[in-house]
Amino acid sequence: MDNFFLWLGMGLFFLVLLCLYRGVFGPGVLNRVAAISAIGTKTLVILLIMGYIYQRVDMFVDISMVYALLNFLGTITVAKYLEMSGEI
Amino acid sequence: MNIMQALSIPFLLGGFFFFLAATVGLLRFPDFYTRLHATGKGDTLAVLLSLIGLSVYEGFSFTAVKILFIAVFMFLAQPTSTHAISRAAMRCGLKPWVKK
Amino acid sequence: MTRLTDDIIIRAVARIMIPFIQIYALYVIMHGHHSPGGGFQGGVILGASFILYLITHGLEEARARMSELKAGIFSASGLLIYSGIGLLCLILGSNFLDYGRLSLILKVIPAQARSLGILGVEIGVGITVMAVMFSIFFDISTGGIIPEDEEIKEENG
Repeated sequence: MDNFFLWLGMGLFFLVLLCLYRGVFGPGVLNRVAAISAIGTKTLVILLIMGYIYQRVDMFVDISMVYALLNFLGTITVAKYLEMSGEI
Repeated sequence: MNIMQALSIPFLLGGFFFFLAATVGLLRFPDFYTRLHATGKGDTLAVLLSLIGLSVYEGFSFTAVKILFIAVFMFLAQPTSTHAISRAAMRCGLKPWVKK
Repeated sequence: MTRLTDDIIIRAVARIMIPFIQIYALYVIMHGHHSPGGGFQGGVILGASFILYLITHGLEEARARMSELKAGIFSASGLLIYSGIGLLCLILGSNFLDYGRLSLILKVIPAQARSLGILGVEIGVGITVMAVMFSIFFDISTGGIIPEDEEIKEENG
């Protein structure tokens, strides 16, 4: 089961690298925000899988919760800023 | 490996499949709204499946309840942030892509 | 300046979420001995909940809930709790922030007194971090101009 978690985490890490392409080269700030939000969602699951690999899920679940909260707050803030400034 | 751990593998693989689909959509779709459509729906379902799988693997404990709490939080937060960012794009005057 | 969002979805979701975020922040402060977290991290989460309220409900309603004056009082009182516990240890005859001597007034064994003293210090740090984070965000979002000042200036000509 450890090997399964290891491969799953590596696969998710590869997906994060693919999303990072859109985050770096994506045309405009909106594409970048969408890519960063997607990366944050994947990172949340990667953190929990790391917890299972290191046998310390009770620690990593708290970090994962805070990561989800800050990802949500960051996306809402950027959306609010773009909506107020009125230009992309 | 007991029955709970075996039961969690389909959930985790399903979550990985939807993460993969959302990432392919983010990379390959033509404009911003379609890309957000792919990641908004795909990532929500994928993160729900993954977290349910992990909590099933954990069994009956306080950690499993906290993982389910993260799942409920993401179920509320992910559609809301997708809505906020697409609304900002609409307000900024970004036109949707149409097939020529 | 941050206006009221005229979007019902974001406001409703924030209204549902904020109490649970604050309870989670208190859990992080209280449970800092056994899991990652503590005063600073819990204070940051508590401040993030207030910042979420300011972003979604606008500046006016956030000022009604938590004004600059209240934020200043909270940040100072958190520091007072922190240094007060430290000075109490000093008065009782040991080093600054050496909680073992608190067992004289708490009537418990020294190990338990250390745990309680650390908890008190963490609560003080959490209150300070929450108030300072909210105050920094408030200053950035108003740009240093407080609306009441503008009204007074307009009235005076």
